[in-house]
Amino acid sequence: MSITRRQLISGVAKAGVPAAVAVTVGTDVLHANEHVAVPNAAVGLLYDATICIGCKACVAACAEANDTPPDTRGDTLHQAPSDLNDLTRNVIKLYKPEDGSAFSFVKRQCMHCLDPACAAGCPFQALHKDPQSGIVTWSAEECIGCRYCTITCPYHIPRFQWAGFNPRVTKCELCGHRLAKGLKPGCTSVCPTGAVMFGPRSVLLLEARDRIKKSPGRYYQDRIYGETDNGGTQALYLSRVPFEKLGLPELGPESVPARTLRWQRRFYQYFALPAVLYAGLVQVIRKSLKGHEEEAHQREKQTGLRAQL
Amino acid sequence: MSTAAISTSRPATTRWERAVPVYGFPVINKFFLVLSGLVMVAIILTAYRELAGLGPVSGMNDAYGWGIWKTFNVMVLTALGSGAFAVGIAAWVFRRKRLHALMRMALLTSFLAYACGLLLLGIDAGRPWNFYWIVFPWRWNMHSPLAEVAICMSIYAMIPLAVENIPLVLERLWYFDSRLRPGVERIEKRLHYFFPWIIAAAYLLPGMHQSSLGALMLLAGERVHPLWQSPWLPVLYLGAATFMSFGCVAGTTMLCCLVWKRAMDMEVLDEAARITAWLIFGWLALRSLDILFRGALLTALRFDRFAGVFWLEMLLIALGGFLLRRSVRTHDPQPMFIGYILSSAGGMIYRFAPTTLAFRPNPEALYFPATIEILVSLGFISLGVAGFLIAVKRLAILPAPLSEWHDMASYFRFRRPYIRWTGYFKHGHFGEDETEAAGD
Repeated sequence: MSITRRQLISGVAKAGVPAAVAVTVGTDVLHANEHVAVPNAAVGLLYDATICIGCKACVAACAEANDTPPDTRGDTLHQAPSDLNDLTRNVIKLYKPEDGSAFSFVKRQCMHCLDPACAAGCPFQALHKDPQSGIVTWSAEECIGCRYCTITCPYHIPRFQWAGFNPRVTKCELCGHRLAKGLKPGCTSVCPTGAVMFGPRSVLLLEARDRIKKSPGRYYQDRIYGETDNGGTQALYLSRVPFEKLGLPELGPESVPARTLRWQRRFYQYFALPAVLYAGLVQVIRKSLKGHEEEAHQREKQTGLRAQL
Repeated sequence: MSTAAISTSRPATTRWERAVPVYGFPVINKFFLVLSGLVMVAIILTAYRELAGLGPVSGMNDAYGWGIWKTFNVMVLTALGSGAFAVGIAAWVFRRKRLHALMRMALLTSFLAYACGLLLLGIDAGRPWNFYWIVFPWRWNMHSPLAEVAICMSIYAMIPLAVENIPLVLERLWYFDSRLRPGVERIEKRLHYFFPWIIAAAYLLPGMHQSSLGALMLLAGERVHPLWQSPWLPVLYLGAATFMSFGCVAGTTMLCCLVWKRAMDMEVLDEAARITAWLIFGWLALRSLDILFRGALLTALRFDRFAGVFWLEMLLIALGGFLLRRSVRTHDPQPMFIGYILSSAGGMIYRFAPTTLAFRPNPEALYFPATIEILVSLGFISLGVAGFLIAVKRLAILPAPLSEWHDMASYFRFRRPYIRWTGYFKHGHFGEDETEAAGD
């Protein structure tokens, strides 16, 4: 007995259903407690808010290193941006509570997350995490200017250039061009107190743990922000005041994309489930279309008017 | 108006059997000129936006990176324009045969909503020239909800939705000139061969991107108010699109019937209202359970703007659902129409909230659309409405009883014999070529 073409196609399609369900449910793109892999040569920053004196030398050095004009839009004289913006990749902010308790400076720049939300959302991979150094960079060739990164980043780092016909997205790229020349990033090369350090992430973690061990009670919760937060980041923070006060939200150990896009990633894995749904829909609609056409032609005969499908 | 008269004097006598163009009304009237003016203004302002950048023309800022062009014209209006998806699935997949009467209306509104939304999406993008990456699948970030939306929406509007609308234009050509008929019939035959694949894509793709529109805000995490931020956001967005688009298709059809004095087929409208009411109650149940199980209910009892928006949205949708349910029993088009409007308005608030009304990037941040932004948004809505008015008057879109077709034929034959380009008269309403017949 020979197999007709119809039987062959429907047989293959029927076999596809369990396969697609297996791919969808069984895909382990991200486990709840799985640690995000750290790139081999992950570099990063360690910022110790307790020894930062807020001199903003790093802000000026950053602008110089990245060849951006000084942002004097505040008072048309001083380079004193109040927040990150299209000319500012790095900024020093002050947290000063009303009740007179401990104040703190904070240096804000890209955290270079191990699982960056900006890159997870970027439609054409304009934001890209380097698999070796782990630096998250922006590329003008792929960016469509959708500004989704400014929505997704839990630290609110990427900033869009609102003026001009050729806007760019500005964020810290850890001075990749200086690293290539064997130099340190601009901000770390000028810090007078060593509040911000550059180095391999593993070394920075050891250094931070060492500092916590040497002066117990000095640091908030004796904890390094970025060790596990948001799946781990490559910019690490030590602080006296709660991290949340410095604009570093408590996001838990699971990265934002892992937590929120689990089912999205499963559904579109290898396009298996949509493909099976499509095959099923085609079958159903073929049958409906046949019935519908027959009815239409019948009506055409009754009314003498051309069938409208 | 004659709504009550229609429902009482001829309850089930009107039967929509054929799509008939709106005849006897000129395309260009005062309303159409106003729309054209708005479109022109929007086009000029768009040119200015391309030169000046987004900052000078919009209220968008670092905190609110998305303005109404994305959050209203795309997120809200494509939900209203999902008729080809929702009504189509009911008609073709679940075989609600009477709903085929509304299909042409659904296809047209969907195409216009998507086309205008996509145009504005291109204007909203800061670096639109890089959209060419869309043809290189290996550059797609397939796990990104935004990539899913951008790619899937463009493909859907340009291929399945556009192709589904081709038969309406072909039909016009068929009546227009007998010399075109063999060609038109050949194209139709070829189209029908591919139709199952096209129609299936037209249901799969919107299902994907309408849910991904909800998934967009998942990554924003806690910055979206807990009443809206939920793992079920994709499902709720898709659900809202289904009942809103039923409201748009059936509501617009009813409005057209009122404006152009067409009889309403309460059998079709009842069926649509019944389905819409069930969709609404299912959606409300899912939304309530989601809020209950996430423990976000207490935030709805606070006295702030978020709770206000939430209750407004829920009440509008619930009231709309209730009116629809009642109108199915009484066959009364008036509460049905109001029900559609209320539920769609509530759905629009729901689709608008997570990106704008309930989006709290930081306490100081504010967003209110700039005048230019609103004018451009309005201009592209006007473009869709103007396109709708032209299409309804030139193509057979609006469902009508069979007698309407014959009325149209006699109208063109006896009252407007000099109009050649309307096509529906030159070759007779049965499709015969009268010029040839006269020569014999």
